[in-house]
Amino acid sequence: MPDLIIETREVSKIFGGLTAVNQVDLEIPRGSIYAIIGPNGAGKTTLFNCISGFYTPEHGQILFQGNPIQGFTTDFISGQGISRTYQNIRLFANLTAIENIMVGQHTNLVTAWWDAIISSPRYRRENANSRKNALHWLDFVGLNGYGDYLACNLPYGMQRRLELARALASDPTLILLDEPTAGMNPQESEEMMAFIRMIREKLEKSIILIEHDMRVVMGISDRISVLDYGTKIAEGSPKEIQANERVIEAYLGPGGAALAKKYQDRRRNKQNA
Amino acid sequence: MTAKEKSSQVKQRDLSKIIRPIFGALVAAYVLWRLYFVFIVEAKYGPQVWVSLLIAGLIIGAVYSLIAIGYTLVYGILLMINFAHGEVMMFGVYAGYFVLEATKAIRVPTAANPDLVFADAYPALSIILTFIVGMGVAALVGYYLEKIAYRPLRKAPRLIPLISAIGASFVLQNISLLLFSPQLRNYNNPNAMARGNGWKIIINETPVNVPYTGVFTLILSVVLMLGLLYLVRNTRLGKSMRAVALDKDTAALMGINVNQTISSTFLISGALAGAAGVMWGLHNGQVYNTVGFLPGIKAFTAAVLGGIGNIPGAMMGGMLLGLVESIGPTALGISYQLKDVIAFAILISILIFKPSGILGEVLSEEKV
Amino acid sequence: MKNHQARTIIQKGLLFALILILIMAIGFHEIAAALVSRVFSVDVRRGSLPEVRFMMYFFGLYAFISGWATAGKEGSFSQKLLQGIVASAVAGLIVALFDILLVYLVQNGIDIREYLTAFSTASMSYFLFDRGQAGLLQHLVYFVIFGGLGSLLHVIRDTEAAQNAINKASFFLKSSKEKIDNALPPFVRKYGKYLVLMIVAVAMYILPRLWGSYINFVLGLVGLYVIAGIGLNIIVGLSGQLVLGYAAFFAMGAYSMALLNAPTPHNILLGFWPSLIVAMIMAVLAGLVLGLPLMGLRGDYLAIVTLGFGEIIRILLKSDLLSNLTGGPRGIHDIQGPTLFGRPFFSDINYMYIIFVAVALTIFVYNRLQESRTGRAWLSIKEDAIASQATGVNLKKYKLLALAIGAAFAGLVGGISAARNQFTGPNDHSLLVSMNVLSIVIVGGVNSVPGIILGAFTLKGLPEILREVENYRQLLFGILLIVMMIMRPNGLWPATRPLYEHMDDPESTKKTSGKESNNA
Repeated sequence: MPDLIIETREVSKIFGGLTAVNQVDLEIPRGSIYAIIGPNGAGKTTLFNCISGFYTPEHGQILFQGNPIQGFTTDFISGQGISRTYQNIRLFANLTAIENIMVGQHTNLVTAWWDAIISSPRYRRENANSRKNALHWLDFVGLNGYGDYLACNLPYGMQRRLELARALASDPTLILLDEPTAGMNPQESEEMMAFIRMIREKLEKSIILIEHDMRVVMGISDRISVLDYGTKIAEGSPKEIQANERVIEAYLGPGGAALAKKYQDRRRNKQNA
Repeated sequence: MTAKEKSSQVKQRDLSKIIRPIFGALVAAYVLWRLYFVFIVEAKYGPQVWVSLLIAGLIIGAVYSLIAIGYTLVYGILLMINFAHGEVMMFGVYAGYFVLEATKAIRVPTAANPDLVFADAYPALSIILTFIVGMGVAALVGYYLEKIAYRPLRKAPRLIPLISAIGASFVLQNISLLLFSPQLRNYNNPNAMARGNGWKIIINETPVNVPYTGVFTLILSVVLMLGLLYLVRNTRLGKSMRAVALDKDTAALMGINVNQTISSTFLISGALAGAAGVMWGLHNGQVYNTVGFLPGIKAFTAAVLGGIGNIPGAMMGGMLLGLVESIGPTALGISYQLKDVIAFAILISILIFKPSGILGEVLSEEKV
Repeated sequence: MKNHQARTIIQKGLLFALILILIMAIGFHEIAAALVSRVFSVDVRRGSLPEVRFMMYFFGLYAFISGWATAGKEGSFSQKLLQGIVASAVAGLIVALFDILLVYLVQNGIDIREYLTAFSTASMSYFLFDRGQAGLLQHLVYFVIFGGLGSLLHVIRDTEAAQNAINKASFFLKSSKEKIDNALPPFVRKYGKYLVLMIVAVAMYILPRLWGSYINFVLGLVGLYVIAGIGLNIIVGLSGQLVLGYAAFFAMGAYSMALLNAPTPHNILLGFWPSLIVAMIMAVLAGLVLGLPLMGLRGDYLAIVTLGFGEIIRILLKSDLLSNLTGGPRGIHDIQGPTLFGRPFFSDINYMYIIFVAVALTIFVYNRLQESRTGRAWLSIKEDAIASQATGVNLKKYKLLALAIGAAFAGLVGGISAARNQFTGPNDHSLLVSMNVLSIVIVGGVNSVPGIILGAFTLKGLPEILREVENYRQLLFGILLIVMMIMRPNGLWPATRPLYEHMDDPESTKKTSGKESNNA
C-alpha cells in the first residue's frame, strides 16, 4: 500500500439542488505533484475547499496521512499540516509582507497573550526566531527588501509569491495551490514551475494543484485527475491525459476528440513529409 | 494528529451542538411556565383584555412592518444597516404634525359654524394631505441621506458606512432638536379622527375600543405593502432593484442605472417610513426628536426576524414583533417596563439560533 | 456642455443657499458668536444676541467659503472664475428669496418661534443685519463680492504658478525636517523616547497640583476615555468585531465598584482596590458570556446584537425589577474612594495620578499585544477571517480573547469613574456613551494610540471646555463622523505597522504607509 498523503473516498459536496462534487475518489501519493484539472465549474475549487476544511462533504471521507479530516475546521486542518493558496489572492492587505508570513507561522508558535504583555524570555526567544524564520521565507520567495511593504501595496506577482511564503511558513506537509500561475506571462509561469519543483525536491513537500495552463500542468505534474461537472472522468500521467478522448471532449465539446485527432494527424503528416 | 487534539476538536463541536438545544429548551420551559402561571393559576384576564392587546399589537405591528421594509430594502441593495432610518421616520412624524397644525389654523367659516377650521371641514382631505407631505418629506430625507452620507462610501469596507450612518443618525436627531426645540408636541388630529375614538365592541360584557386611527393605520399599511409588493414584482423599477440587490456590478453591465435605482430605493423606503411616522403620530400622538430611535431598532429586529433582504419577511416580522410586544408582558406576567427588553431579547435569540430569519435571507453569498 | 455646466452651477448655488438657511434655522448664527467669544476671549455679544457686526463677518465668511467651493474646475482662468461667481450669485438670489419671507414675517411681527426655534422676531431680524429690506440687498451683494473673492483665490491657487510655489514650499519644509532629524546625535535618537517619557512622568506628577481641580476633572475624563478607546480598539480595531454596546461593560465595572463600596443598598465596604479588581473580572465575565453565543455572527449583526445587549442591561438596571439589587433608576450614591497605605487617596489630584498610571499601563499593554503574535492573529481575522482561519488561527478563541481583554479595560474605566464621581446610575451607561467611545476610536484613528488620545481630547475634552456649544456638540459630532468617514477614514492620526525587516537600520527611511486599502 503506497504512502498516500491524501485519499478521498466517494466524496460528494451538494449545494441544494446542485451536486458540485460527485463521488470523487482520489489517491495522492506522498511527495508527488498532483494536478486536478477540468473545465470551468467542474468542481475543482470545491474539492479543494473540502480538503482544506472550508466545506464539509455531504458524503464520503477525506483521509490525510491515513486519518480522516472531513468535518474539521480549517484552522485544525491547517494545524495538521495542510496549507493552501487561493485563486483570487487572499492576503492580509494591511499587514506588512513579513507580518503576513508571521501569521503563517501561527500554528507552530506557542507563546500566549500574557507572555507578550510581560515579555517573558521564552516570548522574546520565540519572537526572534519567528522574525528570522520569516526573513528566511521572504528571501526564499525572492521578496528580499520588500518585507515592510503593506501587502496591498505590492505588485500582483509579488503578492502571489508572498501568499506562497505564507503557506510555506507553517512548514506544512501538503500544500494546495489554487491556480498558481493565474495572470502570469509565460516567463513567470516557467519560474513558478521551477519553484514548485524546488518545493517538492528541496523541501520534500507534497503538492496538489489546480491549474488551467496546460503547459504548466503537463510540465510538472506526476499524475493528473480530470473533473467534469463534479465527476472524475480520467486519471493518469500527463501523456495519458493528453491522449484521453473523454478529457478532450470535456474541454472542446462533443466531437472534440475527433477534431483533435484530425489536427494531430495533420501535424504528423507534415512532419513526416 | 494527536488523539488529544482530535478529541478536543470533536468535543468542541459536540458541545456546541448540545448547548443550543438545551438553552432553547430552557427558554421554552421558562416561557411555558410563565404562560401557565398567568393563564391558569392567576387567570385574572378575561378575553376582552386579550382582544384589546391583540388590536394594539396589530396596529403597532403595522407601523413596525412599514419601517422594517425600509431596512430590508436598503440592506438587500447595499448590504448595510441604515442606522438613520428611524430618523427618517421621525421627520415624517414632524412633517405630518406641521401639516395638521396648518389645517387647524386655516379657517373656513360657514354660516353654521364660524369657527370651522379646514381640518374639521375636510377631514379626509386633511389626512390625505398629511400623509402625502409626511411621506414626501421622509422620502426626501432618505434620498439626501444616501446622496450625502452613503454614496461616497459605496466601495468602502462595511464598517465605514455603518459609522457614517451612526453619524447621520446623530445629525438628523439634532437638526430636528435644534429646529423644533425639545418641546414635546402632540398630533392635533381632526375631530373626526380624534385619538381614542373608535367603534365599541362588546366582549365578555365589557366594551373594547377599536380605534379609528388604528383601523385606518391597518388598512393603509396593507394597501402600501401590497403596492410595494406589486412594485417590486411587476414593475421595471422593481426588477432593477432586485437585480442590483443580487449583483450590483453585473446589473450595471446590463444597462441598469445603479445610482438611480439605489436612490429610488431610498425614496421608497423613506416614503414608507414617513407613512409609518404619520400613523404613529395620529395613533400615539407624541412628537419628539428621538421618536424614531426605538421603533427604528425594533423595526430592524423585525426585519431580521423575518429574514433580512426578504420583503414579505419584513412584513411578517413586523406584525409578529408588534403582537409579541403587546401581548407578551401581560401574558408572561412581567412588568410593562420591560417590554423593550422583549424586543431585544427576540433579536438576540433569532440571531443566535436562526440568523437567516424565519423566512430566510435573500442576499448574495460570500465566495471563497 | 453648456447646459450641463449651467445645471451644475445652479445645483451648487442652491446647495450652499440651503445649507445657509439650515444653519440659520437651527440657530447656529446666534451661537457661533458665543463660541468665538469663548475661544478668542472677545465679547461680541449684546444682550443675548451677538452684535450685528459679527453677523456680517459670519455671513461674509460663509459667502467666501461657498465661493471657494463653487469655483470651476475646468476651463480658462476667467471661465472658472465666472462659474464661481455665478454660483455665488445664484446662492445669493435664493437666500434673498428666503429673506423676502423673513422680511414679511418681521414686518408683520409674526413670531413662529413655537414651531421653529430660530424664527423669533429678534433672531430673524438679526439675520437680516437688523436692516429689513436693505439687509436683503446686502446679503446679495455679500454673496457676489465675497463669493467672488473666494472663487478668485481658489482659481488663483489652482494656477500652475501657485501650484509650483506650493510644491516648493512643502518640499522645503519636508527636507528641513529631515535635515534636523539627521543632525540630531544618535544618542538622542535612541534614548530620546525615554527622555520624553521621563519628562512626561515628572510633569504628570507636578502639574495636577498646579492647574486646579477643573482641569483635573476634564483631563481625568479624557484619560478615562483614552483607556476606554484603547479597550474598544482591541475589539473593533484589532480583531475587527464591531461592538456597539461597549457601555454595558462600563456598567458591569461601575456597578461592581458601586455595589461593593457604598453604604446603600448592601452596605458592603470592600475598599476601592479589591472592588476594582472585581469590577474588571465582572466585565470580563460579561464579555465572555456575551461573546460565546455570538461568535458566528456577521459583522453588522454583531453590532446590532451588542447594541441590543447594551440596551437590555440599561433597561434592566433602570427597572424596578432589580432595584433591590442595583438601586434602580436612582443609581447608587456615596461610593467610597481609594485609600493608599491607610490614608485617603481620593482628592482630584490623587485621582489624576491613578488615571495617569492606568492610562500608561493600558498603552503599555496595548503596545505589547499589538506587536505580538496575538495582535497579528487579531489583525489577520479583521483583514480576512476566512483566510486567517485557514492559516491556522482559531477564530473563536481569539475573538473571545479580544472581547474579554477589551471588556476588562471597560471594567477598569467603569470602576474608577464610579468611584471618582461617587455615583453611578443607569443613564451613565447609555448608548450615547458607547457611541462616544466608538467615535473617538474611529475619528482619532483606528489602531493608533496617538490617534485615540487626539480623538479623546477632541471629542471629550474640547466640548467640556466649550460648554456654550453644548447643544451643537452632538450635531457637530455626527457631522464629524460623516465627514471623517468620507475624507479620512483612517482617522486623524493613522496607524502604522512595525518594521520587522529594517528594524535595526538607522539609515532606513522606509515607513509603512498609513493608508489602508479598501479591500478589507
